[in-house]
Amino acid sequence: MLDIKNLHVAVDGKEILKGLTLRIEPGQVHAIMGPNGSGKSTLSYVLAGRAGYDITEGSITYNGEDLVALAPEARAAKGVFLAMQYPVEIPGVTTMTFLKTALNSQRRQRGEPDLDAVGVLKLVRAKARTLNVTEEMLKRALNVGFSGGEKKRLEILQMALFEPKLTILDETDSGLDIDALRLVAEGVNTLRSPERAMLVITHYQRLLDYIVPDRIHVLAKGRIVAEGGKELALELEARGYDHLVKDVA
Amino acid sequence: MTLAAATRDAAAALVAARGVPHRRVEEWKYSDLRAALGEPGLGTETAQWSVDAPDGVERFDLSQPNPPAWVADHFGRDGGNVMSAASLAFASGGVALRAPAGAAIGRPLRLDFAGAGHVRALLVVEAGAALTLLEGVGVADFRNAGLEIVLGEGASLEHVRVSPEAGDAVLVEEAFVRLARGARYRAHFASFGSKLSRMELAITLAGADAQAHLSGVSVLDGKRHSDVTTHLIHAVGDTVSSQRFKHVAGGQSRAIYQGKVTVAQGANGSDSNQSAKALLLGETAEADLKPELEIFADDVKCAHGAAVGDLDAESLFYLRARGIPEAEARGLLLQAFLEDAVAEIADTDQRELVRVELLTALKRLA
Repeated sequence: MLDIKNLHVAVDGKEILKGLTLRIEPGQVHAIMGPNGSGKSTLSYVLAGRAGYDITEGSITYNGEDLVALAPEARAAKGVFLAMQYPVEIPGVTTMTFLKTALNSQRRQRGEPDLDAVGVLKLVRAKARTLNVTEEMLKRALNVGFSGGEKKRLEILQMALFEPKLTILDETDSGLDIDALRLVAEGVNTLRSPERAMLVITHYQRLLDYIVPDRIHVLAKGRIVAEGGKELALELEARGYDHLVKDVA
Repeated sequence: MTLAAATRDAAAALVAARGVPHRRVEEWKYSDLRAALGEPGLGTETAQWSVDAPDGVERFDLSQPNPPAWVADHFGRDGGNVMSAASLAFASGGVALRAPAGAAIGRPLRLDFAGAGHVRALLVVEAGAALTLLEGVGVADFRNAGLEIVLGEGASLEHVRVSPEAGDAVLVEEAFVRLARGARYRAHFASFGSKLSRMELAITLAGADAQAHLSGVSVLDGKRHSDVTTHLIHAVGDTVSSQRFKHVAGGQSRAIYQGKVTVAQGANGSDSNQSAKALLLGETAEADLKPELEIFADDVKCAHGAAVGDLDAESLFYLRARGIPEAEARGLLLQAFLEDAVAEIADTDQRELVRVELLTALKRLA
């Protein structure tokens, strides 16, 4: 599904990712762990298509297509979803209006008919309930005045609504208490299926207790420095990143 | 008796002495009326007006003799400003309207200015009366309207003015608003710009507990110009004013907000808040935001702020990453930017109307 080969990415002329290679098959959940500054968030932004990230070498192929050539909105319509570490607050746009616009924008790009207001409302309400997103939150301006946990729950609500093929979770566990973490993990696990894939980016092993990955990659200084199964997370939790990082030139 | 011939002579003398305002006159720095009008100058024509008055609102045609006391008492008290002096001197007609004491007028009063030339209007909302004024701005080569609004004790007026996109028009208006104790004035000014478009307001909070709340939006494209100039005077204490103006300027357009708040000596307990923001789309658009405070009292609460910027790149990315195409995402953010000023319109129908007009203008810009 996702095939990243020898990816080099520079931001403001400074190379952040230095030859990253990663392959995710449908149905798999991969985790990327690594210390601060290792390039985790850069990877997530590059996959979503944010401006200012220059790909100087390598390629990203998504379902056989060159992902880099697609605008962010086209990636979303084709099923790429990035749950952001810092969801943006947008005063003046209600959450419900945003959800409806986004959902129908994606559908339109795929040649599907718009859902009417009632249809969207029904869909949103059904998904919102399980994630403990209240009616009141849906009426407020997007992310404005939301707590850290509420913002993350709204990200997961969007994931549930859009049903993406490839989900990237960027530090979704940060700022969550244990109950919220469980709720978020349940939301993610509900979406796991043989045709979907996920990339879970996290600093801590905690989230991986709830979203158990098939494979873990350790990112340090812009490269994958270690790979393994889910037991690697426990090892990192016990020993830290230092012993892996110091070997990297 | 016709309306104060002496007042008119004095106004004509003032216009003759000062001439047409131009950019070296501080208050007209960003709106060079002399250059916009060129050779023909101010002219002495009288422009047209029309009124759709709900039951309960009285009217008097200013071109007629023997004005009633409520007209004679309040007409032509806005001296000092050269353009209002011009409308006073040259307009041979206009309209005076009155909501009598205690009247709660359900249906809005509609006042339209049309055609070229000078025109005057007077609106008296007497003690305890409540009224909504919808002001329409017809397109003309050049029009100068002078509007006087008098609010009695506890009177309340909601004023909504929509100035349409009018390429070559030069449209100038001066409104003088005077509030007695406990009166409320809420006004919203939506503008889509013209060759030169200026709405100037001088508002005096003359009685305790009087409140004026101004808001406005402008969406400008091409070479449009839109100027809102306000002077809010807290003449006595325990008065409240707020101003919230938002501008979106594209092309080579120019958005102007000049807002001066004066708190008079002894007007303690005055509370004033002023905010003006502009988003510039592109390198050639311009916004001039000039909030100004003049405080002669000790115990006041005054806040002001102005900011000019571009659309937030992070917000734009967020929307696009969720599947919303760039043009649509930009439109949504522009709408969102203007929304808090639009939300100030209390009348639901008018609020929706302004929203629709803004949406149309934003689509043109995108």
